[in-house]
Amino acid sequence: MRRRDSTETTPMTEPNPEPQASPQVGAPRQGPAISVGGGRAPHPLKGSRESGNVELRDLHAYYGPNHAVRGVSLAFDSGAVTAIIGPSGCGKSTMVRCINRMHEEIPAARVEGEVLLDGIDLYDPRIDIVAVRRSVGMVFQKPNPFPTMSVFDNVTSGLRLTGASRGELEDRGREALLGAGLWDEVKDRLKAPGVGLSGGQQQRLCIARALAVDPEVLLMDEPCSALDPMATLRIEELIGGLKERVTIVIVTHNMQQAARVADATAFMLNGELVEVGPTDKLFTNPDDDRTEQYVTGKFG
Amino acid sequence: MAETRSHYQEELERLEASALEGLDMVNSALERTLEAIEHQDVELAQIVVADDDRIDGRYLEVHQSLITLLATQSPVATDLRLISALLHVLKNVERMGDQCVNICKVIPLTGNEPPADEEMVGLILTMGRHVRSIDNQAKRSFQDRDIELARDLVRQDDVVDNLNRECFRLALEIGDDADKREWAMTMLLAARAIERIGDNAVDIGEQVAFVVTGLFREFEDASHPNAFSR
Repeated sequence: MRRRDSTETTPMTEPNPEPQASPQVGAPRQGPAISVGGGRAPHPLKGSRESGNVELRDLHAYYGPNHAVRGVSLAFDSGAVTAIIGPSGCGKSTMVRCINRMHEEIPAARVEGEVLLDGIDLYDPRIDIVAVRRSVGMVFQKPNPFPTMSVFDNVTSGLRLTGASRGELEDRGREALLGAGLWDEVKDRLKAPGVGLSGGQQQRLCIARALAVDPEVLLMDEPCSALDPMATLRIEELIGGLKERVTIVIVTHNMQQAARVADATAFMLNGELVEVGPTDKLFTNPDDDRTEQYVTGKFG
Repeated sequence: MAETRSHYQEELERLEASALEGLDMVNSALERTLEAIEHQDVELAQIVVADDDRIDGRYLEVHQSLITLLATQSPVATDLRLISALLHVLKNVERMGDQCVNICKVIPLTGNEPPADEEMVGLILTMGRHVRSIDNQAKRSFQDRDIELARDLVRQDDVVDNLNRECFRLALEIGDDADKREWAMTMLLAARAIERIGDNAVDIGEQVAFVVTGLFREFEDASHPNAFSR
């Protein structure tokens, strides 16, 4: 087991989180998203969805002395939506933020254990952290489009760092907006500011921005908690369609949302994984008493 | 951790008690029905028929409240299984009440003559008393979430089934007198109805197993009786 302190990296807080493709880092994308020691694996075929399997092995996460995630081992299967539920402070967001190495951005935070993406340890010292963020996209609680950028520039912000041509930007930007179910609504206002869209549209814009760099995994940390019911349903529908091309891990406080969108659901309590299983099993006949108590609303 | 949703939990408990009370109502209807059979009491039979509205009313009231809980509380896990089971139980109880009505409606057809066959009447009364005890056992097994007690309902119901077959044999042997045969046919309908009440109680037992285990399985498969093993 490794022990890693990462106070040297830039501190970052929730209100303006880093997008999956950081504009500050200029690493052009060539070939595979993730590789070790310079070796280039062939780029995984999109649509085949044999890639994008995530596995956590005995994952621990700390905020200074606070042990937030306590030895979680869990697999996220490609082509599936996995929901993480649990009361506030149970470590679910922290666990998810370990998957794209966001957790280590917080001062005094550290991670132990392994996070494997298709068998490659994302915490391997030879791994380029920019490549991790590109392979594992993230969408946050509050929509966070870049405030000074247009709709189109928002979507293509990650791509532009890769040195893509104008034509390629347009094609992939359009594809990403289509993928996020936003194209029809914004095709006539691509040059308008991204923050001028409605909350639900902004959130789909952020999903499009994450999709544009062709990630293997999409982490969603309460993506609908700031949205109204209709916008929430649109995102939920979108999630159902996206799982064909990207592994989705969604943290949610809304248990009915987990029940609606997730193939598998994991229940966490006090930093530990209590139970994980098919969503219908967890919501009709959970194995663990604590899961039962939580999902039936007897505590939480 | 703080207890939450106490109002919802209380409401669910209240509805369970209310649904299971339906079994007490069925048992009191069955008691009157047996008395009406024994004494060929047509007035008492009419009271049972009229009183079935109370069982139906209970069904509608609890059913509506359960649907409201489903709509407003999004019950899951054991709560969801309990609500699903209670919806079944309500239907069973309502049918058990209807079987009492079926019997009471045929009692006037038996006429004012003394019973053609005392032995057959005795068998039917024994069946009825046994079914009342089965109903009580079904209620207790549900309240206590006692799967073994619920499974035992099958054994108890076998006794009733055997008594029912015995009634059938007596009816076959009742002789050539047309009035006697008509009386026997009518009593067979009553026996059959009582036997069905027992079957409904066994169905309630199956719901007990579902609430506890999350698996629904018929205790006894009527289509493949020999495939059953306990």
